[in-house]
Amino acid sequence: MNTPVWRYVEDLLRQRKPRPFKASEEEAAEVRAAILLNSADDDGEPSEDFVEGLRDRLAGELSGEKPGSNRRRFVKIGAAAAAATAVGAGLDHVLTDGLTAAAPKEQNLVPDNGEWRAVVASTDLPDGAVQAFDLGAVTGFLRRSGGQVSAVSAICTHLGCRLRLDAPARQLNCPCHRTSFNVDGSLSTHELPVAPPPLPHILVRENAGRVEVFVPPPA
Amino acid sequence: MGERARREQRAEPRGLHLVGEEVYADWEAVYRDNVGRIHKLMYAKVGNRPDAEDLTTEVFLTALKPLRVTATIGEVRSYLLATARTVLADYWRRTLGREVTTLDEELGISTPEPASGDPSAPARAAAILAALPERYRRILELRFLGACSIREAAAELGITIGNAKVLQHRALRQAAAVAEGMLS
Repeated sequence: MNTPVWRYVEDLLRQRKPRPFKASEEEAAEVRAAILLNSADDDGEPSEDFVEGLRDRLAGELSGEKPGSNRRRFVKIGAAAAAATAVGAGLDHVLTDGLTAAAPKEQNLVPDNGEWRAVVASTDLPDGAVQAFDLGAVTGFLRRSGGQVSAVSAICTHLGCRLRLDAPARQLNCPCHRTSFNVDGSLSTHELPVAPPPLPHILVRENAGRVEVFVPPPA
Repeated sequence: MGERARREQRAEPRGLHLVGEEVYADWEAVYRDNVGRIHKLMYAKVGNRPDAEDLTTEVFLTALKPLRVTATIGEVRSYLLATARTVLADYWRRTLGREVTTLDEELGISTPEPASGDPSAPARAAAILAALPERYRRILELRFLGACSIREAAAELGITIGNAKVLQHRALRQAAAVAEGMLS
């Protein structure tokens, strides 16, 4: 009696993954009847573990972010002194008023226990250049304009996807939802219901012929 | 959609009634609103949880990345259902080589108040069982609804395990024939 279709039905009854086999039309009909009977008294509501597990997996897939990243060690500080709010409150403001309010204020990414790290020689960043850097916890784009060096985060402010530099267009493009930013961090184009905030700036300085950014220490 | 509706959607992504031209706040709202429905559909079509979970995962992994969050809720649901149909068809091609079950387009995932799972499944199962000879009905009830092992079912019916297996096999064949007859 241990035919493939018998084993298949027994697997269904035990809520195990059934083993594949090449089914005849008659066997397929038998499996179909077994599926119908097996789901008759169970509406198939997913378990909470499954729902939360898949949610976390999707979050990882969509942001491209590695678990354990210490990007969270940053605090967001509003450009205006009074706007030193919690991240949640700032985000809520953007979501609620984004359609009608003026563009949200730029923010700075400042780690609470940071250090200056050299990323490139000053001579390698000529005027007008834009260059990506990746320090693990912090990724960003350096830019020199009018002699001044500045840096913006390389993480889209919508869902955290990593931006790609389109050097000829001088734009930073998000691969996830067709959002793009200008190299100075301001929003260029988007197709989202609510405009995402501009890219946060990262503190940057030139020291001893090198460009340095202020980032958290290595974990 | 109005500012008020937008705020309500964020405040209560699970219990919200979604209609018309509204859009989801973000990918997580899409996920929360649809994961239960997709899983129920898949479970009703494959009859076991491990496969239902794998197929639900496949639907969201496939669908979510290219999804425009600006699409209306109805469009998002139709798109998820279309993805689910393809994923289910691939599953049957891989496993049994035949399309054992399909997701019907009119199942209603794109309507504002969709039914969950396949609402007619319990009624259809009951109708099929009712149409079977007594002993066929009994063994299927014991195994599928009573969660009995084959040994327990045999003891209940006063027959050997070998006979219980043969009885179950014949009963399922007959049930399949009844089900086919109900469809046509």
